Amino acid sequence: MQKEAAIREPLILGDKSYKDITDDVVGPIQGAAPIGWKIMITISSIIAVYGVGSILYLLGTGIGVWGLNKTVGWAWDITNFVWWVGIGHAGTLISAVLLLFRQKWRMAINRSAEAMTIFAVIMAAIFPGIHMGRIWVSYWVLPLPNQFGSLWVNFNSPLLWDVFAISTYFSVSLVFWYIGLIPDFATIRDRMTKPFAKKVYGILSFGWSGRAKHWNRFEEVSLVLAGIATPLVFSVHSIVSMDFATSVVPGWHTTIFPPYFVSGAVFSGFAMVQTLLLIMRKGMNLENYIHVKHVEYMNIVIIVTGSIVGVAYLTELFISWYSGVEYESYAFINRFSGPYSWSYWMMMTCNVISPQLFWFKKIRRSLIATFILSIVVNIGMWFERYVIIVTSIHRDYDPSSWGEFHPTSVDVGIFIGTLGIFFTLFLAFARFFPVLALNELKTILKSSGENFKKKQANH
Amino acid sequence: MGMRQVPLLRRTKSRTPYRNSLMANTKRYWSGLDELHETEAFKTIQEQEFPGAQSVDEFLTDERLESTHTGRRDFLKFMGFSLTAATLAACETPVVKSIPYTNKPSEVTPGVANHYASTYYDGQDFVNVLVKTREGRPIFIKSNSQTGVGRVNARVNASVLSLYDGARLTGPMIGGSASDWATVDQQVSAAMQGAGRKVLLTNTVLSPSLKRAIAASGMEHVQYDAIDYSAFVQASEADFGMKAFPSFKFEEASAVVTIGADFLGTFGDSVYYAENWAKNRNPEAGKMSRLHAFETNMSLTGSNADYRAMVKPSEHGKVATALLKAVTGQGQAGTLSEGVQAAVARAAADLKQAGANGLVLAASNDVDVQRVVNAINNALGAVGTTVKYENVRLFQGSTAAITALTADMKAGNVETLVIADCNPAYDAPNAAGFTAALAQVKTTVSTAMFADETASNCNIIAPTHHWLESWGDLQIEASRIDLVQPTISPLHATRGWGESLLAWSGNATDWYTYVRQTHAAGYTADAMYTDSDWNKAVHNGFIGLDAAEAPASAYQGNGTADAVTRLNSRTGGAFELALYQKTTMGAGQHTANPMLQETPDPLTKVTWDNYVTMSHEDVDSMGLNGFIGQEKPASTVNVTVGGTTMELPVFPMPGQAPGTIGIALGYGRGANGENIGKAAFQTGENGSFLTNAEGNLVPVGQNAYPWVNTTNGASDYHQYDVSVAATGNTYALACTQIQNTFMGRDSIVKETNFASFFAERGAAKGEASWNKVVKLAVHEDVNNDGTINAQDAKPTEAFDLWHEHAVENVGHRWGMTIDLTTCTGCSACVTACHIENNVPVVGKDEVRRHRDMHWMRIDRFFASDYSLERGEEEGVGVISSYRKMEDASANPQTVHMPMMCQHCNHAPCETVCPVAATTHSNEGLNQMTYNRCIGTRYCANNCPYKVRRFNWFNYPGYKKFANFNPAQDSLMRMVLNPDVTVRSRGVMEKCSMCVQRLQAGKLEAKKAGAPLEDGSVVTACAEACPTHAITFGDLNDTNSAARATSETNRAYHALEEIGVKPNIFYMTKVRNVEPTQA
Repeated sequence: MQKEAAIREPLILGDKSYKDITDDVVGPIQGAAPIGWKIMITISSIIAVYGVGSILYLLGTGIGVWGLNKTVGWAWDITNFVWWVGIGHAGTLISAVLLLFRQKWRMAINRSAEAMTIFAVIMAAIFPGIHMGRIWVSYWVLPLPNQFGSLWVNFNSPLLWDVFAISTYFSVSLVFWYIGLIPDFATIRDRMTKPFAKKVYGILSFGWSGRAKHWNRFEEVSLVLAGIATPLVFSVHSIVSMDFATSVVPGWHTTIFPPYFVSGAVFSGFAMVQTLLLIMRKGMNLENYIHVKHVEYMNIVIIVTGSIVGVAYLTELFISWYSGVEYESYAFINRFSGPYSWSYWMMMTCNVISPQLFWFKKIRRSLIATFILSIVVNIGMWFERYVIIVTSIHRDYDPSSWGEFHPTSVDVGIFIGTLGIFFTLFLAFARFFPVLALNELKTILKSSGENFKKKQANH
Repeated sequence: MGMRQVPLLRRTKSRTPYRNSLMANTKRYWSGLDELHETEAFKTIQEQEFPGAQSVDEFLTDERLESTHTGRRDFLKFMGFSLTAATLAACETPVVKSIPYTNKPSEVTPGVANHYASTYYDGQDFVNVLVKTREGRPIFIKSNSQTGVGRVNARVNASVLSLYDGARLTGPMIGGSASDWATVDQQVSAAMQGAGRKVLLTNTVLSPSLKRAIAASGMEHVQYDAIDYSAFVQASEADFGMKAFPSFKFEEASAVVTIGADFLGTFGDSVYYAENWAKNRNPEAGKMSRLHAFETNMSLTGSNADYRAMVKPSEHGKVATALLKAVTGQGQAGTLSEGVQAAVARAAADLKQAGANGLVLAASNDVDVQRVVNAINNALGAVGTTVKYENVRLFQGSTAAITALTADMKAGNVETLVIADCNPAYDAPNAAGFTAALAQVKTTVSTAMFADETASNCNIIAPTHHWLESWGDLQIEASRIDLVQPTISPLHATRGWGESLLAWSGNATDWYTYVRQTHAAGYTADAMYTDSDWNKAVHNGFIGLDAAEAPASAYQGNGTADAVTRLNSRTGGAFELALYQKTTMGAGQHTANPMLQETPDPLTKVTWDNYVTMSHEDVDSMGLNGFIGQEKPASTVNVTVGGTTMELPVFPMPGQAPGTIGIALGYGRGANGENIGKAAFQTGENGSFLTNAEGNLVPVGQNAYPWVNTTNGASDYHQYDVSVAATGNTYALACTQIQNTFMGRDSIVKETNFASFFAERGAAKGEASWNKVVKLAVHEDVNNDGTINAQDAKPTEAFDLWHEHAVENVGHRWGMTIDLTTCTGCSACVTACHIENNVPVVGKDEVRRHRDMHWMRIDRFFASDYSLERGEEEGVGVISSYRKMEDASANPQTVHMPMMCQHCNHAPCETVCPVAATTHSNEGLNQMTYNRCIGTRYCANNCPYKVRRFNWFNYPGYKKFANFNPAQDSLMRMVLNPDVTVRSRGVMEKCSMCVQRLQAGKLEAKKAGAPLEDGSVVTACAEACPTHAITFGDLNDTNSAARATSETNRAYHALEEIGVKPNIFYMTKVRNVEPTQA
């Protein structure tokens, strides 16, 4: 049994026993759905349906229903894609990297963070699909044997790397998440009294019996998957950034992009985790498991990654001047002083200035401030992608083709729609899945639980 | 049961082939000795139906088969799968059955194009053409450069679309309802034989046969032209005794001064001018004429001028008098601003130096101005060299004549009026008066192809053929008759109006015979007129004659003093108006042509609209919108001229003289709901037609013809006092280019002045100061001076990430050079490219959203007063400097830069395509495989030249485009080039360098067994260019013209520093200006 210094803040508050943990997590699944949940899922599924309708209209009519044009060939579509992929990063970082670093505070948040990852990656995957002019032949991006002769994909294209990166990332995250869920599903199964639910959770738990052999395999698989997932955290967004970095477009063609994108992704991912968890802990009475300490830790990650992002922005500006390249320097001058400068300053305010507030302990530990700032950060990160994509290509090399981009209602509808789908999925997760990794939490109850710490102190 | 039936298949176990049992009782024939002797080998083979493979018997008797099992369910599975697979495979495009010729005409081979010589004349443009037909359909018009004269412009090559216009009349009409030719002939003949005045109203008739038929008909013939040049004719008659429109010989001119005459675009006989003018714009040959322009609107000619001065319409005459004074010392110079005076002095100095090779021309249809111009040209000695007064055929129409006719009609003095080849109810002076007077004429007959403004007000419409359906002859010179031949059978029950005229005069000769008869006597040499001579003439498109023009008499001008006084006393109000024609639209004949409507105006880059051009100074002082963007609509103003007011959008135009406005003619057709073609009407954002309060369709633009003044019997296209008032309303304009300047990016546009060019004309490529190769600094001692510093640089070619394409010196390597010196921006290449390549027409709303599909565009850059260097000198920050650089000068120099796919050897688009839909050919082409494209648009984003175009919608099918896209009209679809795919929704497209032409050319060369000859294959743009600014060819062919020009020191790659290595070269623009003013 690992001992932990009493001086450390406990990770599980309240006088919790093992049974309490099980009750707290499984109870909501067994009970009737609360009214708040019903309202939220109704709203989000209506938005989701609107989004699906917008997507169907897009697919039926053509990409022209978006506001794109000959100069700006990507805008909201790829902005949303990169934004969603970025959000996905926190889950993997928490579950894999923090696992390897034995950060126990992750146990309260990793399950929902991973779920968020899965859903965010699904949302992200929608966009490269629907942004294609001919989605019905989108499978051509896969290196499948075919009847077209020796026709193969183009391995030079970063978009193809994206296909591999995202699909690998998605499948590894999914497996990792599911492996973690198995013991918890088994717990639910054992608690379920209704035969149908018992059957379903029985299937989901893959016949878990809690034997030492099972636990041993579980630990090993988790470790192996963490090992696989960790490089993916860094590779996926690096590769996404290469869509831009390998191009010739001034403002895209930047070697700083891979690390800059990864830290931006972690930054936005943690912000989204904050947004979701703060709602969830309130709605599901999980204050004892997800408390100020967790929020503070995550805010520290946000300060660090936000500052890295800020440095990256300044580095880009410096290099554009230092390089002496006419087009590069104009691209950045245009970014902060041109027709889309409002989006640049939006990005700077939200991403660079606002997270610096977390240097104040009071703000860092304030749940309301955290909630607001987490949304601000995600708005800022959306604008970061918008700034990179739209302001770079709307005025690139040939001034004769300089243009503008104006979103249409379909652009907006699809983006809002993915938020709806995402929240619908997440709410369904919160209702039917164990939102905390309860079996993992039990492992730290005796070392980091408040009651055990008190007992220790009394000794 | 059912299962029991299965072994049926296995029941046949007999090893005796069935046929042997049959043969037992019959005679036997042997296939060989083996069979006769029944050898073992034969027996083995005989048992096998397919020797070498397992026989069916053998297969069925195989013991192993017993152990396998194909049950009912498996059978159903296989069936189900096969059925689904077959159904899915059948879900491809619908099968369209085509019917082959029963008796194939010998000259038509499916898939092979035929070209026929013909001649185009619409009252304005007159040019010899070759008509390309495919399977009997005319689909393309180009210059007849072998036997013809003149060069096809944008209006002419796009005119092929009008043949297939669905709004054409399909047969004669009486009183607004369909009729037949017999009834029409009977009624009109009766009217012709009746009492009273019978008048035929036409534009200038150039056809000897028509003139003969008119004379024979006994009708009174009145001619007028939509764009009137009668003051020129009057002045020529007064000064040289010839009723002639001057013939300008730009090939002889070394100094040209134009006062408002847009001779490169629309003025006079413009199809002849550009090519000849460009002959003297050849810096390599040391020949560089100088062009001075004095003008109100920024015209195509003004944008190509070496020196351009802005003058108001009321000052055009004063410039002429000032020039007269400066050149001859006669008369009195008008009061002009200092700047204009200096410009006049400079122009006069050049003219005097050029002497007989000087040329002055003015657009003012004002006898006084023309007589002053005549006096200057005469004083220079230019008459007979650069200008001749001998053309007694062109522009013989007279505003005075139609004005008199209108009065007569109104008074009821005209009994029968036949109107042919003109639309006076739209474009005549006092068109409204003419329309009203039509009601006073008992029998009115129109021969228009459409129920246009005039025809819909006539009792009888006897629709004529399209020129591509008719025989005809035309003559502008004494020495040749140009022939028109039909290239397709008439699509509808129409009849050429010459033939109608014959029928109505009781002459039953068919028109073809009549035309031949006209020229039976036309030959001067003996016994030339045979069928074979005629066929040869038709083949070449003209009949050569021995006759020569009568020379003009010597200058007999009797002093210009009165004219000078009148011109110098002319004044204007707060705003003056100059009416003009757009290069792409002409006088209004082409309003319903969607291709021309979507071709941007070369200067404003606006499509699908008519607007007021106004200087930035005036736009700012009136508080109007100075920048037209996608969501930044133009401000509108109320323009009032002589009591009539129109609300028009304002386009802020660099180079527009302050205090003046320009409005184009030729718009606003079909305002009363006349059916003149779908593309003449405005569509809204969803593609449906807009309607006005009366329920009529809203025409594109507004009609400015009512503002044409009639002064001294000539139409005056200037208004000297108009009022302009802001309305506070806005109106969306659709521009293909919204940025005016090139932001000092001199690796896109390189230019110099003639003196600097000449001084370094021998410099090696990349060494001349005006075309230095781009070098990048490296960290090694390149120049061996012992230190590493900024001087150590290597050309961009030295840096390379990619493998070379093996295109250098292997096979063909297609490429182009584009000479910015001779490119005038006329846009003939643009329309030629789009018709050749079936480029979709997308309509105003899509163009406004920057989604034009143009494969070929002409970037128009205005010079800016500002630069980063100037900002630094003045202590202005970089950000402000860049902002100021976005504004063009008040009177800017202009660059027209044709831009299409550069076919980069290291194409950025190729590397990023995930599915390899865009690849490099081994002939140096960057090729687009439409049916592989999945439409990620990554290639378009990564294209530095932004030439890739995405199919945002299904243009040939989606409802938004139904009202103007040619592919959506069952008739106009016939104009599509069958050699080029009509692209589907969701794929990327771009310039293919007319790969269909390259393939056809290579096949021809292969058949001939000879290497491809330079010039035998040419792209549509290069072919169309009237000034030969575009040279296409094989860069691997050491003798090709393209290679030769690409190796000169003027050749450069646009955006060379990116290192994409294009196959398109640009030639540095050389202006003939003093070095200090470059």
